[in-house]
Amino acid sequence: MNIFLRELKANRKSLVIWSVILILLILIAVSKFSAFADNPEMLAILDSMPDVVMDAMSMRAFNLTTVTGFYGLMFIYFGLMGAMAAAMWGSEIISKEERDKTVEFSLVLPVSRSRVITAKASAALANCIAFVLITWGVSLVAVRPYSPDRAFYEFLALEMAAMFLIELIFLAIGLLLGCAMKRYKRSASTAVAIILMTYFMSIFSVMDERLDFLKYATPFRYYDAGELLRRGGMDGVYLLLSLVIVVVCVAAAYVTYNRRDLYI
Amino acid sequence: MSIIDVSNLTKYYGKARGIVDVSFGVEEGEIFGFIGPNGAGKSTTIRLLLSLIHPTSGTARIFGKDVTTDGPEIRRDIGYLPSEVYYYEGMKVIDLLKYSASFYDHDCTRRMHALSEAMELEMNRRISDLSYGNKKKVGIVQGLLHSPKLLFLDEPTAGLDPLMQRRFFDLIREENARGVTVFFSSHILGEVQRLCDRVGIIREGRIVEISDIRTLQQSNYKKVNVSAEGLDPTAFDLPGVTNLQTEDGSVRFFFKGDINAVLQKLGGTRVTDVTIEEPTLEEIFMHYYE
Repeated sequence: MNIFLRELKANRKSLVIWSVILILLILIAVSKFSAFADNPEMLAILDSMPDVVMDAMSMRAFNLTTVTGFYGLMFIYFGLMGAMAAAMWGSEIISKEERDKTVEFSLVLPVSRSRVITAKASAALANCIAFVLITWGVSLVAVRPYSPDRAFYEFLALEMAAMFLIELIFLAIGLLLGCAMKRYKRSASTAVAIILMTYFMSIFSVMDERLDFLKYATPFRYYDAGELLRRGGMDGVYLLLSLVIVVVCVAAAYVTYNRRDLYI
Repeated sequence: MSIIDVSNLTKYYGKARGIVDVSFGVEEGEIFGFIGPNGAGKSTTIRLLLSLIHPTSGTARIFGKDVTTDGPEIRRDIGYLPSEVYYYEGMKVIDLLKYSASFYDHDCTRRMHALSEAMELEMNRRISDLSYGNKKKVGIVQGLLHSPKLLFLDEPTAGLDPLMQRRFFDLIREENARGVTVFFSSHILGEVQRLCDRVGIIREGRIVEISDIRTLQQSNYKKVNVSAEGLDPTAFDLPGVTNLQTEDGSVRFFFKGDINAVLQKLGGTRVTDVTIEEPTLEEIFMHYYE
């Protein structure tokens, strides 16, 4: 419990910074939405855009003049931010001890390495949960002027659940990188590289049918806002895949961290 | 039962040598000195014993338990002062000490304050604002506050001013008098000589000698210094003589063996001055390193 609480405190600043960025994003986006809201001219402009652009921006699935459609478009930003924040938290919470050379203190205390991972991962998880709740809460307040219907609130809840699952996946990947990588300085940048790579994979897999198989390799396709809106729920196959990724990464994190030498 | 029991412990970092085939034991209540130059493997040995790193081969047991499998349990009764202390920079000294204390079953508050007072530690400052020496003081208090049964000190005096060094040594002696076993790693021989009962000398990853500090000084070598007019240095070229040096009219050397051989030589010479003394540990030590 003491490690968990200390990490929560140590990571508070980072949570605040990420939340401020996210709140700004939501506020700016919603203020832009005022130009789209119930405006048929906008639809005409969008219709005149080339298909490839619409695919790449995943704008085709949504009616951008409704707040639900607009939030569908917003989802990828929530997903990306959640993924980035979670991966950073996951990798740094472990690797910073080696970077700052505090392992010679923290792991000479009478604690097992597994206990350290459990406590730290829980603290990072708490941050992820807080991040989703903040996104949710701010969204609810920000869309109030457009008095959305019940379907919007249901869709928002589904999006937030999806954002949380994306966070979980990248938290697990970040944790594994932090635990396993010898060059601890690179664990965070590797995590970001993986996020960007999988993000672009998700775009390419939509744009070109020959690349459709890539959809299994990128978590951003598991929780595609257009699909979520169309189905009104999540795909069982992707949920299972997510679970497998999380379990495998977390298990591998425990095993490697227990086995390896700490760098001092 | 030995407190520390190391047998054939070997550690390679990839291909780079850490330590090779190191074996030794430390008995309950003794202060064991571990000396060697930088890079000899002192810190590697300590980090293996603390299970921060894992051995390539060989075993190490502390309190009869294996360090690779029972690390957390062993560390309940271990205090460690590393050569350079690093703590969470944003924390206050008092919070860090309380955090450290929270990992032990018994209440350490009283001792924490007593130690801080002894080391003149300012508890309300932030770690990041502390000087090197002050961080070291935090390290001393943190390493001792849970009343460990075994202390690992790795070059502990670096950064402490002479007054604090003395206070620190007093503290270690007090602990030792209460029955605490101390593993003292250093390359400064003076302090090892002052404090330790036995020493292990490590060189290029291997133990070259383990012995009682007294026997190390007494049994083997004598330092002989002869001054005489018209002295012929070759006259002292006896078996057992090493490090023969001549310096305007005087001869200095180390001698190992029956001292009468030297006395006989001297008997036939008219000397102006002669001293035969115990070499300092420093001199013995240099000898091992040549």
